[in-house]
Amino acid sequence: MSSGVQTPAAGSYRPQAPFWDELFEADGTPRPTARALVEELRRLGPEGLTEAGRRRDAIFMQQGITFETSGGGGPTHERPFPLDLVPRVLSGQEWRDIKRGLAQRIRALNHFVDDVYHAREIVREGIVPWRLVASRSHFARAVHGIRPPGGVYTHVAGCDLVRHSDGTWKVIEDNVRIPSGISYVLENRAAMARLVPELFASYRVRPVDHYPQLLLHALRSVAPSAESEATVVVWTPGPANPAYFEHAFLARQMGVELVEASDLVVRDDVLYMRTTRGLERAHAVYRRLDDDFVDPLEFRGDSLLGVPGLVRAYRAGSVAIANAFGTGVADDKAIYYFVPEMIRFYLGEEPILENVKTYLLTDPEVREYVLEHLDQLVVKPTGESGGRGVMIGPHADEVEIQKMRRVIATHPERWIAQDVVRLSTVPTVGPDAVLQPRHVDLRPFAVFGERIDIVPGGLTRVALDDGSLIVNSSRGGGSKDTWVLEDGDDADRAGPPIADTQPPALPDLRYGAWTGQQQQQQQQRVPQPTGRPPHPAS
Amino acid sequence: MLARIAHELYWLGRNLARAEFTARAVEAVFQAELQGTSENRPGVSFGSGGLLAMFGDVIEDSDRPRNSQALGQLTLDAERPGSMIASIERAREGARTVRDVISAEMWEAINTTALGLRGGGQPGWAAPAGPYLASQYVKERTALIWGVANRSMLRDEAKCFLDAGGLIEISDMVLRMLHVAMPTTAYGGGARDAAPADGTALILLQAVGGFHAYLRAVTAPPNAHPVARFLLFERAYPDSVAACVDSLHEVFTTADAGPRNSKPVLRVSRLAADLDFQRRALPDGAELTGICKQTQQELSRIDQDVAERYFAGAAAAGLRR
Repeated sequence: MSSGVQTPAAGSYRPQAPFWDELFEADGTPRPTARALVEELRRLGPEGLTEAGRRRDAIFMQQGITFETSGGGGPTHERPFPLDLVPRVLSGQEWRDIKRGLAQRIRALNHFVDDVYHAREIVREGIVPWRLVASRSHFARAVHGIRPPGGVYTHVAGCDLVRHSDGTWKVIEDNVRIPSGISYVLENRAAMARLVPELFASYRVRPVDHYPQLLLHALRSVAPSAESEATVVVWTPGPANPAYFEHAFLARQMGVELVEASDLVVRDDVLYMRTTRGLERAHAVYRRLDDDFVDPLEFRGDSLLGVPGLVRAYRAGSVAIANAFGTGVADDKAIYYFVPEMIRFYLGEEPILENVKTYLLTDPEVREYVLEHLDQLVVKPTGESGGRGVMIGPHADEVEIQKMRRVIATHPERWIAQDVVRLSTVPTVGPDAVLQPRHVDLRPFAVFGERIDIVPGGLTRVALDDGSLIVNSSRGGGSKDTWVLEDGDDADRAGPPIADTQPPALPDLRYGAWTGQQQQQQQQRVPQPTGRPPHPAS
Repeated sequence: MLARIAHELYWLGRNLARAEFTARAVEAVFQAELQGTSENRPGVSFGSGGLLAMFGDVIEDSDRPRNSQALGQLTLDAERPGSMIASIERAREGARTVRDVISAEMWEAINTTALGLRGGGQPGWAAPAGPYLASQYVKERTALIWGVANRSMLRDEAKCFLDAGGLIEISDMVLRMLHVAMPTTAYGGGARDAAPADGTALILLQAVGGFHAYLRAVTAPPNAHPVARFLLFERAYPDSVAACVDSLHEVFTTADAGPRNSKPVLRVSRLAADLDFQRRALPDGAELTGICKQTQQELSRIDQDVAERYFAGAAAAGLRR
């Protein structure tokens, strides 16, 4: 892939054909929604961007928003979370379409999880083969027949979207186990507002900071608590987890306890936490660890991170778990293939957001085709996340392709192949403060409680290397602030009227006490009715 | 102690608290106004317009919020009595007159703060992020000044008057903010048929730095009514009006030679009891504008009583206006 043209700041940034650029038309003129932004970036110039970048790193180090990277097996070291200073801009209309599409998709996935552990209608209709479902690594027999409160399984979902070169949005992955990244969405916005407020000058960007409240509300609404306000907790595997920052962030922002396994105990099918005042009941758990580890009695027996008896308590309906146990079955790349069908089957609607063209390798004919075209396709393991094990055909060498060919031949059910997606690009600040096109995806975050709420925008992940398509932060990706613009004027944003009476005037020293010159200076500076008299008898 | 010194310390406390509170409010409004509204309807209106109104400025309709100029005025415009720099400069002048009473360390902390704000402040403050950076600076510096005061000052009358000034200013500021931000139903004379939708009031919590405390103390979502109740009545939160009034009572009892028949002490204790009573008596969601107004009036009476009882000596010296 050819390298981006080196240009001073936004001066003569050229989008890279054939990719869709989020801020620029193909001919290099800014898109209408981005015009003011590009103008401000130009004004900021390379010096402004460098300076803001320096302050950003300092702020992130100070706040402890860091990422641990390991230099190829060497010691890990902390570096500030890589936030790029050029935001991505989405119009209100674009966002509405995305939102509708995501809500539809998440509703269908939720139906699917319910169906898999109950009637299995979609299997009986012959749409999804049962062998495939039951062989998924995240299929959980232990929760067969359990229906959580409200019938909601996928309380928190983050579907990864990409934009194709023709400008259409496609879903590339469904994350309905424990999608992470929302804390960066909130922190990115806060940092952008501090670092480059000028960029916001001509825009009304929809805020994102109400996410913790949405989540808390959703968790409370599904919690089985009749008498009092439900107690919600966030369950983290511990400070050693790479996403620990996010766990602590969410607990703090929701004002709930952050618990570890040793804080929790199940007695008589009821979940309690150990407090200074004895055992206290927990009604809803936002868990941030995989099914495998949650309960050594039902899942992996060697798990030290789990709470024995938790699944029993869950089965008894005394505690709500988000996301519900067993949702991982819908978070599988082979199941992903069937999602458009699911939408038609469960909802009777046409999918608003399409899938990326995907090849299921269990079909011998398809497999044959894929094996022949490995160098043009992307191959992914079905049950993994975070970009692990992905092979991008056009970027792979012959040895890797040969290896993949053998692996697929032995375990075709564990792999899928997809067309290479031409991820859209956004101008991104390079090492020398020059803007260059870099590939991005988008992960919006949805919360499913009584209804589905989606925070405007989401996490835009960006591949920081030239030509790279890997946006995962664990593999050198960065992120961008994502702006969803408000349309309409300011009329609909006005709060209640400002009080029509003024508060009393500011009080000031009742008796003068200073002398001579100081006082005169002060008077000139601070003329006010309750202030010092014009000619004090000093 | 000298009435004049007590007077200066009291106002030193007020000015420091005013600068700090202004800084917090400017920071919150700065962040909020860059963005649009969330889907949650706002339950309060508090922006740069409201912030200016808090300090007694008239806001015109044409003076739309998102007016970064307004925030600039509240930070480094020495001409404005409500600006951070004006408050800090006044605090510095006050500290100069009581240099013998406060520790050298404390004088230095105050003096450095004022010097740092002069002449446009520090490089980068002229940029659009200026109001934010300046308010960060003032927040940090005032925290340092109070920290030094708390560690180094003898717990005597002097400290009491310094604290009293700070406490009365904080409660006054909180009440001013509620005054401009809370939706107006009571004053409409029934013109508005229904109570306003109880939308989010996160901004108020951010403006006093009480967001985290609120989350830990209250389970209700941060909507206008529970937030107002929290800021008025929550005694476990040090910057709430009730907690400030409680502490005021404490410091005046310590400082007063005869607290049993001292007008300010009696008035403060009546106000504390009244706030406690209202907290229990008012049902959730009840109109709070009335109590806010009464409390503010009562606080200004206390201010007057304090001046008469303790600082009258300064007036007798011929300085009374």
